[in-house]
Amino acid sequence: MLNFFYNSNLFNWIEKLIKFINSIFFVLLLISLSFALIFSPPDYLQGDSVRIMYVHVPSSWIGLASFTFLAISSILSFIFKIKNLKLIIKSIAPIGLMFTCISIVTGSIWGRPTWGTFWVWDARLTSMLILALFYIIIIAIHKYIYDEEKANKISSIIASVGLINIPIIKYSVEWWSTLHQPASIKIMGNTTIHSSMLMPLLLMFFVLILYCALIFLMKYKTEIIRIKKKNLKRL
Amino acid sequence: MIKNLILMNGYGIFVWSSFLITFLVCGAFYYKTRRTLKKYEKDFAKEIKELSAEKKKLALENSEIASKVLSSFNKTI
Repeated sequence: MLNFFYNSNLFNWIEKLIKFINSIFFVLLLISLSFALIFSPPDYLQGDSVRIMYVHVPSSWIGLASFTFLAISSILSFIFKIKNLKLIIKSIAPIGLMFTCISIVTGSIWGRPTWGTFWVWDARLTSMLILALFYIIIIAIHKYIYDEEKANKISSIIASVGLINIPIIKYSVEWWSTLHQPASIKIMGNTTIHSSMLMPLLLMFFVLILYCALIFLMKYKTEIIRIKKKNLKRL
Repeated sequence: MIKNLILMNGYGIFVWSSFLITFLVCGAFYYKTRRTLKKYEKDFAKEIKELSAEKKKLALENSEIASKVLSSFNKTI
Protein backbone atom coordinates (compact mmCIF):
# COMPACT_ATOMS: atom_id res chain seq x y z
CA MET A 1 0.00 0.00 0.00
CA LEU A 2 2.77 2.43 0.98
CA ASN A 3 4.52 1.64 -2.33
CA PHE A 4 1.83 3.72 -4.02
CA PHE A 5 3.20 6.88 -2.41
CA TYR A 6 6.68 6.45 -3.89
CA ASN A 7 7.26 9.18 -6.43
CA SER A 8 7.86 6.75 -9.31
CA ASN A 9 4.50 5.01 -8.71
CA LEU A 10 2.74 8.32 -8.27
CA PHE A 11 4.39 9.53 -11.48
CA ASN A 12 2.89 6.58 -13.42
CA TRP A 13 -0.57 7.25 -11.99
CA ILE A 14 -0.30 10.97 -12.67
CA GLU A 15 0.45 10.31 -16.36
CA LYS A 16 -2.51 7.93 -16.66
CA LEU A 17 -4.87 10.33 -14.89
CA ILE A 18 -3.79 13.32 -17.02
CA LYS A 19 -4.52 11.31 -20.17
CA PHE A 20 -7.90 10.15 -18.83
CA ILE A 21 -9.04 13.63 -17.78
CA ASN A 22 -7.87 15.11 -21.10
CA SER A 23 -9.95 12.52 -22.97
CA ILE A 24 -13.27 13.28 -21.23
CA PHE A 25 -12.86 16.93 -20.26
CA PHE A 26 -14.02 18.77 -23.40
CA VAL A 27 -17.13 16.62 -23.88
CA LEU A 28 -18.18 17.25 -20.27
CA LEU A 29 -17.37 20.94 -20.61
CA LEU A 30 -19.58 21.28 -23.69
CA ILE A 31 -22.47 19.47 -21.96
CA SER A 32 -22.20 21.60 -18.82
CA LEU A 33 -21.96 24.84 -20.84
CA SER A 34 -25.06 23.87 -22.85
CA PHE A 35 -27.01 23.32 -19.64
CA ALA A 36 -25.69 26.49 -18.00
CA LEU A 37 -26.28 28.81 -20.95
CA ILE A 38 -29.21 27.25 -22.85
CA PHE A 39 -31.21 24.52 -21.11
CA SER A 40 -31.43 25.79 -17.53
CA PRO A 41 -34.36 28.14 -16.88
CA PRO A 42 -34.01 31.85 -15.98
CA ASP A 43 -34.73 32.83 -12.38
CA TYR A 44 -38.21 34.30 -11.66
CA LEU A 45 -36.61 37.32 -9.95
CA GLN A 46 -33.10 37.70 -11.39
CA GLY A 47 -33.91 36.56 -14.93
CA ASP A 48 -31.02 35.34 -17.08
CA SER A 49 -28.38 36.99 -14.85
CA VAL A 50 -28.72 33.93 -12.60
CA ARG A 51 -26.61 32.01 -15.16
CA ILE A 52 -23.53 33.72 -13.69
CA MET A 53 -24.13 31.43 -10.70
CA TYR A 54 -22.87 28.46 -12.75
CA VAL A 55 -19.32 29.86 -12.76
CA HIS A 56 -19.43 32.01 -9.61
CA VAL A 57 -20.61 29.41 -7.08
CA PRO A 58 -18.33 26.49 -8.12
CA SER A 59 -15.36 28.92 -8.19
CA SER A 60 -16.14 30.03 -4.64
CA TRP A 61 -16.50 26.44 -3.44
CA ILE A 62 -13.16 25.50 -5.02
CA GLY A 63 -11.44 28.61 -3.59
CA LEU A 64 -12.68 27.79 -0.07
CA ALA A 65 -12.08 24.03 -0.27
CA SER A 66 -8.55 24.52 -1.66
CA PHE A 67 -7.59 26.81 1.20
CA THR A 68 -9.04 24.47 3.83
CA PHE A 69 -7.09 21.57 2.30
CA LEU A 70 -3.95 23.70 1.96
CA ALA A 71 -4.11 24.90 5.57
CA ILE A 72 -4.68 21.40 7.00
CA SER A 73 -1.86 20.03 4.79
CA SER A 74 0.45 22.86 5.93
CA ILE A 75 -0.19 22.06 9.59
CA LEU A 76 0.29 18.30 9.02
CA SER A 77 3.43 18.94 6.96
CA PHE A 78 4.84 21.15 9.71
CA ILE A 79 4.14 18.54 12.43
CA PHE A 80 4.99 15.30 10.59
CA LYS A 81 7.50 16.67 8.01
CA ILE A 82 5.86 14.82 5.11
CA LYS A 83 7.67 15.81 1.91
CA ASN A 84 4.79 15.01 -0.46
CA LEU A 85 2.50 17.39 1.43
CA LYS A 86 4.89 20.25 0.69
CA LEU A 87 4.60 19.48 -3.02
CA ILE A 88 0.81 19.33 -2.71
CA ILE A 89 0.70 22.74 -0.97
CA LYS A 90 2.89 24.33 -3.67
CA SER A 91 0.73 22.82 -6.42
CA ILE A 92 -2.66 23.66 -4.95
CA ALA A 93 -2.12 27.30 -3.88
CA PRO A 94 -2.13 28.88 -7.39
CA ILE A 95 -5.30 26.92 -8.30
CA GLY A 96 -7.06 28.18 -5.17
CA LEU A 97 -5.96 31.76 -5.84
CA MET A 98 -7.17 31.63 -9.43
CA PHE A 99 -10.65 30.37 -8.47
CA THR A 100 -10.93 32.84 -5.57
CA CYS A 101 -10.16 35.67 -8.02
CA ILE A 102 -12.67 34.27 -10.55
CA SER A 103 -15.26 34.12 -7.78
CA ILE A 104 -14.62 37.76 -6.80
CA VAL A 105 -14.69 39.03 -10.41
CA THR A 106 -17.79 37.07 -11.50
CA GLY A 107 -19.49 38.01 -8.22
CA SER A 108 -18.76 41.65 -8.97
CA ILE A 109 -20.21 41.32 -12.46
CA TRP A 110 -23.30 39.60 -11.02
CA GLY A 111 -23.60 42.37 -8.41
CA ARG A 112 -24.05 45.10 -11.07
CA PRO A 113 -27.49 43.95 -12.35
CA THR A 114 -28.73 42.59 -9.00
CA TRP A 115 -27.42 45.12 -6.44
CA GLY A 116 -26.76 48.03 -8.79
CA THR A 117 -23.04 48.13 -7.94
CA PHE A 118 -19.90 46.13 -8.74
CA TRP A 119 -18.51 46.27 -5.21
CA VAL A 120 -19.54 46.90 -1.63
CA TRP A 121 -17.37 46.40 1.43
CA ASP A 122 -19.75 43.91 3.00
CA ALA A 123 -18.65 40.94 5.11
CA ARG A 124 -18.78 38.22 2.40
CA LEU A 125 -16.98 40.20 -0.30
CA THR A 126 -14.34 41.56 2.06
CA SER A 127 -13.63 38.15 3.62
CA MET A 128 -13.24 36.64 0.13
CA LEU A 129 -10.76 39.39 -0.73
CA ILE A 130 -8.84 38.57 2.47
CA LEU A 131 -8.77 34.90 1.38
CA ALA A 132 -7.17 35.93 -1.93
CA LEU A 133 -4.55 37.92 0.04
CA PHE A 134 -3.73 34.85 2.16
CA TYR A 135 -3.21 32.84 -1.02
CA ILE A 136 -0.93 35.55 -2.45
CA ILE A 137 1.14 35.64 0.77
CA ILE A 138 1.56 31.83 0.82
CA ILE A 139 2.57 31.71 -2.87
CA ALA A 140 5.02 34.60 -2.34
CA ILE A 141 6.58 32.84 0.68
CA HIS A 142 7.27 29.67 -1.34
CA LYS A 143 8.56 31.70 -4.27
CA TYR A 144 10.86 34.17 -2.52
CA ILE A 145 12.10 32.32 0.57
CA TYR A 146 14.72 29.89 -0.70
CA ASP A 147 15.26 28.09 2.62
CA GLU A 148 12.50 25.43 2.27
CA GLU A 149 12.32 24.66 6.00
CA LYS A 150 11.84 28.33 6.84
CA ALA A 151 9.31 28.82 4.02
CA ASN A 152 7.24 25.86 5.24
CA LYS A 153 7.30 27.08 8.82
CA ILE A 154 6.12 30.60 7.88
CA SER A 155 3.50 29.39 5.40
CA SER A 156 2.10 26.94 7.99
CA ILE A 157 1.62 29.80 10.44
CA ILE A 158 0.02 32.03 7.78
CA ALA A 159 -2.23 29.16 6.60
CA SER A 160 -3.34 28.42 10.18
CA VAL A 161 -4.27 32.07 10.67
CA GLY A 162 -6.03 32.05 7.28
CA LEU A 163 -8.05 29.01 8.29
CA ILE A 164 -9.93 31.22 10.77
CA ASN A 165 -11.22 33.19 7.77
CA ILE A 166 -12.99 30.14 6.27
CA PRO A 167 -15.90 29.92 8.77
CA ILE A 168 -16.06 33.74 8.68
CA ILE A 169 -16.65 33.59 4.90
CA LYS A 170 -19.17 30.76 5.27
CA TYR A 171 -21.25 32.35 8.03
CA SER A 172 -20.71 36.03 7.16
CA VAL A 173 -24.11 36.17 5.45
CA GLU A 174 -25.80 34.92 8.63
CA TRP A 175 -23.76 36.80 11.25
CA TRP A 176 -23.93 40.23 9.59
CA SER A 177 -26.43 42.08 7.45
CA THR A 178 -24.97 41.76 3.93
CA LEU A 179 -26.03 42.43 0.36
CA HIS A 180 -24.90 38.90 -0.50
CA GLN A 181 -27.72 36.35 -0.33
CA PRO A 182 -27.56 33.44 2.17
CA ALA A 183 -26.52 29.99 0.92
CA SER A 184 -29.16 28.16 -1.15
CA ILE A 185 -27.33 24.83 -1.07
CA LYS A 186 -26.64 23.22 2.27
CA ILE A 187 -24.94 19.91 3.00
CA MET A 188 -26.93 19.65 6.22
CA GLY A 189 -30.34 21.28 5.89
CA ASN A 190 -32.82 22.16 3.18
CA THR A 191 -31.51 23.09 -0.26
CA THR A 192 -33.73 25.85 -1.62
CA ILE A 193 -32.58 25.73 -5.23
CA HIS A 194 -34.75 23.97 -7.85
CA SER A 195 -33.38 20.76 -9.37
CA SER A 196 -33.47 22.31 -12.88
CA MET A 197 -30.77 24.73 -11.66
CA LEU A 198 -29.06 22.45 -9.15
CA MET A 199 -28.19 19.79 -11.75
CA PRO A 200 -26.32 22.16 -14.15
CA LEU A 201 -24.62 23.77 -11.15
CA LEU A 202 -23.32 20.42 -9.87
CA LEU A 203 -22.31 19.42 -13.40
CA MET A 204 -20.29 22.63 -13.84
CA PHE A 205 -18.75 22.07 -10.40
CA PHE A 206 -17.70 18.57 -11.47
CA VAL A 207 -16.15 19.90 -14.69
CA LEU A 208 -14.21 22.58 -12.81
CA ILE A 209 -13.05 19.97 -10.26
CA LEU A 210 -11.74 17.89 -13.17
CA TYR A 211 -9.95 20.97 -14.48
CA CYS A 212 -8.41 21.55 -11.02
CA ALA A 213 -7.31 17.91 -10.89
CA LEU A 214 -5.68 18.28 -14.30
CA ILE A 215 -3.78 21.43 -13.32
CA PHE A 216 -2.87 19.97 -9.95
CA LEU A 217 -1.46 16.78 -11.53
CA MET A 218 0.57 18.75 -14.06
CA LYS A 219 1.96 21.02 -11.32
CA TYR A 220 2.71 18.05 -9.08
CA LYS A 221 4.51 16.30 -11.94
CA THR A 222 6.54 19.48 -12.54
CA GLU A 223 7.53 19.54 -8.85
CA ILE A 224 8.64 15.87 -8.95
CA ILE A 225 10.78 16.54 -12.05
CA ARG A 226 12.23 19.64 -10.34
CA ILE A 227 13.34 17.48 -7.38
CA LYS A 228 14.77 14.81 -9.69
CA LYS A 229 16.63 17.52 -11.59
CA LYS A 230 18.17 18.72 -8.32
CA ASN A 231 19.18 15.13 -7.47
CA LEU A 232 20.80 14.74 -10.88
CA LYS A 233 23.21 17.56 -10.06
CA ARG A 234 24.41 15.61 -7.01
CA LEU A 235 25.61 12.68 -9.15
CA MET B 1 -33.26 32.10 -30.77
CA ILE B 2 -29.57 32.97 -31.31
CA LYS B 3 -30.38 36.63 -30.68
CA ASN B 4 -32.07 35.67 -27.40
CA LEU B 5 -29.08 33.55 -26.45
CA ILE B 6 -26.72 36.47 -27.05
CA LEU B 7 -28.83 39.22 -25.49
CA MET B 8 -30.33 37.15 -22.62
CA ASN B 9 -33.03 39.78 -21.99
CA GLY B 10 -30.48 42.52 -21.42
CA TYR B 11 -28.23 40.45 -19.14
CA GLY B 12 -26.06 39.09 -21.98
CA ILE B 13 -23.15 41.44 -21.35
CA PHE B 14 -22.92 40.32 -17.69
CA VAL B 15 -23.43 36.60 -18.33
CA TRP B 16 -21.13 36.32 -21.37
CA SER B 17 -18.38 38.43 -19.80
CA SER B 18 -18.45 36.21 -16.66
CA PHE B 19 -18.15 33.01 -18.69
CA LEU B 20 -15.55 34.51 -21.01
CA ILE B 21 -13.35 35.74 -18.15
CA THR B 22 -13.62 32.39 -16.36
CA PHE B 23 -12.70 30.25 -19.35
CA LEU B 24 -10.05 32.62 -20.71
CA VAL B 25 -8.30 32.67 -17.34
CA CYS B 26 -8.62 28.87 -17.02
CA GLY B 27 -7.31 28.40 -20.58
CA ALA B 28 -4.34 30.72 -20.02
CA PHE B 29 -3.52 28.99 -16.72
CA TYR B 30 -3.69 25.56 -18.39
CA TYR B 31 -1.41 26.73 -21.20
CA LYS B 32 1.13 28.21 -18.76
CA THR B 33 1.14 25.11 -16.53
CA ARG B 34 1.55 22.77 -19.51
CA ARG B 35 4.35 24.90 -20.98
CA THR B 36 6.23 24.91 -17.67
CA LEU B 37 5.87 21.12 -17.38
CA LYS B 38 7.14 20.58 -20.94
CA LYS B 39 10.05 22.95 -20.31
CA TYR B 40 11.06 21.04 -17.16
CA GLU B 41 10.75 17.69 -18.99
CA LYS B 42 12.88 19.00 -21.85
CA ASP B 43 15.55 20.46 -19.54
CA PHE B 44 15.64 17.28 -17.45
CA ALA B 45 15.98 15.04 -20.51
CA LYS B 46 18.71 17.32 -21.87
CA GLU B 47 20.64 17.16 -18.59
CA ILE B 48 20.47 13.34 -18.58
CA LYS B 49 21.72 13.23 -22.16
CA GLU B 50 24.64 15.49 -21.33
CA LEU B 51 25.81 13.22 -18.48
CA SER B 52 28.79 10.93 -18.97
CA ALA B 53 27.89 7.36 -19.95
CA GLU B 54 28.59 6.05 -16.46
CA LYS B 55 26.55 8.72 -14.68
CA LYS B 56 23.75 8.40 -17.23
CA LYS B 57 23.55 4.64 -16.60
CA LEU B 58 23.49 5.26 -12.86
CA ALA B 59 20.76 7.89 -13.14
CA LEU B 60 18.55 5.74 -15.37
CA GLU B 61 19.00 2.66 -13.20
CA ASN B 62 18.23 4.48 -9.98
CA SER B 63 15.32 6.57 -11.20
CA GLU B 64 12.32 5.18 -13.03
CA ILE B 65 11.11 8.75 -13.50
CA ALA B 66 14.34 9.78 -15.23
CA SER B 67 14.06 6.96 -17.77
CA LYS B 68 10.36 7.73 -18.31
CA VAL B 69 10.97 11.42 -18.95
CA LEU B 70 13.87 10.61 -21.27
CA SER B 71 11.85 8.09 -23.29
CA SER B 72 8.82 10.40 -23.59
CA PHE B 73 11.14 13.24 -24.63
CA ASN B 74 12.74 11.02 -27.27
CA LYS B 75 9.27 10.21 -28.64
CA THR B 76 8.39 13.89 -29.08
CA ILE B 77 11.55 14.83 -31.02
